[in-house]
Amino acid sequence: MVMKRRASQPPAAYLPLPPATFHILLALADGEQHGYAIMKSVTARSAGSVRLGPGTLYGALKRLLEAGLVEETGERADAERSDERRRYYRLTQLGVAVTRAEVQRLDAIVRSARRKKLIGVKPA
Amino acid sequence: MSASAERIYRILLRAYPPEFRAEYEREMVLLFRDQCRDGDVRTFTFWARVVWDVIQSAPALRAEATRTVEVVMKLAAILSILLGAFGIFGAVSEWMAAPQHAGTYAIAVVLGVIASLLLLGAGIAILRGMRQPARLALVASLLCFVGARLLFPWMGIFLQLVGFGLPVALLVALYWPPKHSTLGTA
Repeated sequence: MVMKRRASQPPAAYLPLPPATFHILLALADGEQHGYAIMKSVTARSAGSVRLGPGTLYGALKRLLEAGLVEETGERADAERSDERRRYYRLTQLGVAVTRAEVQRLDAIVRSARRKKLIGVKPA
Repeated sequence: MSASAERIYRILLRAYPPEFRAEYEREMVLLFRDQCRDGDVRTFTFWARVVWDVIQSAPALRAEATRTVEVVMKLAAILSILLGAFGIFGAVSEWMAAPQHAGTYAIAVVLGVIASLLLLGAGIAILRGMRQPARLALVASLLCFVGARLLFPWMGIFLQLVGFGLPVALLVALYWPPKHSTLGTA
């Protein structure tokens, strides 16, 4: 079992998030999921541009568990696949706060780019 | 095919640190089975992605498991203790061997001994996790060494490299900003 560290840092201390980590947190914002569901959700959300392999996914999940942003909710079989039991993960309150902070940070960047007319303008 | 693919994948998993494998190997193999079921395991692209994933993630997890930076700092601290002791021994031997002791020469030797003592102290401070005293000792050691070098210009190149290089390298390492995020780079 991974040792979970007590959260001692404010959400802003975790920013900017590595891309894979941000995608995992976004996937878990929909509710608790197991590894393969997270992987498929990330691929679908990014239209195939981000593909997490097992090593990248579980490496990131290990760090997220240690940082207290994600927690395990136990093992059970996937109802759709009806195969072996899998571990499920969900966001903690800190995880939600960090995800929100990262979204706000990215939103500020996008708004700045829009003001500079770098996006949202049809090319001439 | 998927049984042999799984065997190959289990071999690739040996690239990960043992603690990580103990915690996540079963989940990773389950996920790999899902990938085999939903993808074409006979294609080059499939295996290129699998191998690339291992190359991307295993070294970082290994580095985290061994805490490479801390080990390097400890080795550097031990080196500075040894070189500090060597510096004191060298200065004392030179003092004993010299036929006469001119004023500037005596000051240079004394400064050399103080620089070595401070280097030794900095090494001990690093080992004990006292970063600020280590920084102060290194700066003071560097100043003493520069003073000794100015008074004793025919100092050996090895001694100059050690006397300047080691404190500067340790100071850079001690002032290097720590990583705020603990979430890796992936």
